[in-house]
Amino acid sequence: MNQTIFRMAMVLMTVLWSWQTRAAPVTFNTALPVAEGEFIHRELLVVMRSGDDPSGMNRDMAVSTLVSVLGYGISGKLALFGALPYADKKLALTMNAMPLERSSDGFGDLSLFGRYTLFQRDAPGQTFRIAVFAGTEAPTSDDHENDNLGRLPPPLQSGSGAWDGFGGVVATWQILDYQLDGQIAYRNNGKANGFEAGDQWRLDGSLQYRLWPGTLAADTRGFLYGVLEANLIHNDPNRSNGEKDENSGGTTLFLAPGLQYVTRRWIVEAVVQLPVSQNLRGTALENDYVVRSGFRWNF
Amino acid sequence: MKIILWVLALGLWSMVVLAEGDRYQLQVDGLACPFCAYGIEKKLSHLEGVEQVTTDVANGRVTVQMTGGGILEEVQAKRAVQAAGFTLRSFIREETGE
Repeated sequence: MNQTIFRMAMVLMTVLWSWQTRAAPVTFNTALPVAEGEFIHRELLVVMRSGDDPSGMNRDMAVSTLVSVLGYGISGKLALFGALPYADKKLALTMNAMPLERSSDGFGDLSLFGRYTLFQRDAPGQTFRIAVFAGTEAPTSDDHENDNLGRLPPPLQSGSGAWDGFGGVVATWQILDYQLDGQIAYRNNGKANGFEAGDQWRLDGSLQYRLWPGTLAADTRGFLYGVLEANLIHNDPNRSNGEKDENSGGTTLFLAPGLQYVTRRWIVEAVVQLPVSQNLRGTALENDYVVRSGFRWNF
Repeated sequence: MKIILWVLALGLWSMVVLAEGDRYQLQVDGLACPFCAYGIEKKLSHLEGVEQVTTDVANGRVTVQMTGGGILEEVQAKRAVQAAGFTLRSFIREETGE
């Protein structure tokens, strides 16, 4: 059962790592700025389901996470972010014809990161930017939770117990009619309690196309964007007590259609991430879907 | 009596109009969505003497209305727009008062 759960850890990390955004894409970052001395607050509800189980154990994993993000502009080019998730995790399975359920809920580990704009070219009604970002996820949450079956496996723990590092490059091209974003990112996961989640590479792309209003006027106060995003995510195998878990890791391609309504003060948004290709190792539990919805506001 | 009332009304109207400060038109490059506009508005609103800031995202134009006697220097406007993460293309003063 532990191997199964280790593989789920990869899915969870994928789901939770995309909170580091400001505006624009829903599932990953952007290079658009946070104004100097100003704050941006984001709340993102992520509902993930993995129930397609080839092992015959009827495994069903459901995770609902509310991620709170606060961003602050140090300057027009440098912004700092902090993200704190609160997750409710449930794993149901059948062992020896007996249905089992293991679960946990609580605050997850705190992430802190910075983003700096390396390149910026502005023109009337358009901008192109390239930014780098880097940060860490600190082991601030409980990683020794138990239930009546004993100690919960790592993915069901609220915290990982390890220091993780991540970084990447993101580019944004925005004009009045649409916006394109692309990102390449890497995450290095630390080791704790004998477990080390596999490192992760990801390549992301996003198109936001203005659906409404069709024609802009001087008093236009909001845009409704149609959103289509793609996430190619590769996870290395996990390691448990130094041994590589050959039934963990793999590569998944998500497509995520959605909607985003943008005004001066706030954004509301929702996408559904659908796995269109899953090349997972061993008998990993596949993703069914991930729903992301939430809001952001300037203050 | 009617003439006196008209003169008083005209005087009052003139006082209101004359008390209004200058207005400035800023052309800002890189502005392409409403959410980004708010950062510019906040940075400019923090400047002394600024009464109101409005943004026309469609045309990349930011209008800054000053209080009576308030003056916006181009260097101030440029600094505020840069701090919001954008680029000031042009700065025009429109005299509405004095």
